[in-house]
Amino acid sequence: MGMSLLAAPDTREDVDLNQTVDPDRPWQTVVWNDPVNLMSYVVRVLEQYFGYPREVATRLMLSVHHEGHAVVAEGPREQMELHAQAMHDYGLWATIRKAPR
Amino acid sequence: MTVLQITRIEAANLAELLRQFREVMDAADQTDPAVQRLTPDAYPDDREASQQFRELTSSDLLSRRKEDAQTVIESLGVPFEMPRTETESLEELTVTLSPEQFEAWLRSLAALRLVLASRLGVSAEDDHDEDDPRFGVYDWLGYRLEMLVQQA
Repeated sequence: MGMSLLAAPDTREDVDLNQTVDPDRPWQTVVWNDPVNLMSYVVRVLEQYFGYPREVATRLMLSVHHEGHAVVAEGPREQMELHAQAMHDYGLWATIRKAPR
Repeated sequence: MTVLQITRIEAANLAELLRQFREVMDAADQTDPAVQRLTPDAYPDDREASQQFRELTSSDLLSRRKEDAQTVIESLGVPFEMPRTETESLEELTVTLSPEQFEAWLRSLAALRLVLASRLGVSAEDDHDEDDPRFGVYDWLGYRLEMLVQQA
């Protein structure tokens, strides 16, 4: 899978000497609100793909709808990239980020 | 297995929409807002990482959308012609979907809606121009998708 290439160590990492590396901060897959996807569909995707129970999937969908976004998964970067790609497959607007401090 | 009922005219229109959808996927024009919506920036704050992600994933993703569209067209039963009479149009077809076909239907209806929304300039949930017949198609796709999700 070519995806792991994306998570290869950045060769310019040594330039950012001032930036503290925080190993406790995982990566996150974030799903954003959009005016097109149906709420029931978003719940179905989260249930089906992540195997979340209905209540969890519904709570996440409601955060997306009301707060504009929700963190749907946390973990290593490569895994979050696979999740984001799967969300894109379903037409959800997903991004990847380092967990905010 | 999921069983759904669809009229011949709905099936013919859906097959035609999917044929056009496949053309958009084939063109894979990265400046097309609909294509951009189907392959969003994975790292909104990091242009380089987003670009890298896109290079590695977008052509596969668009191919998968095309395959999904093909799966849906095939599940409808081809070759497909526009019905000529009202009786023919309203004839109910019974379509039986395997779990894989079902997922392809969900993804395709959702993707079609995203493409249409982008063409129609939908930027809010209640962004509706009642006089534009394309909204009828957009709403119909939503109705079909909702029914499928309820059947899951």
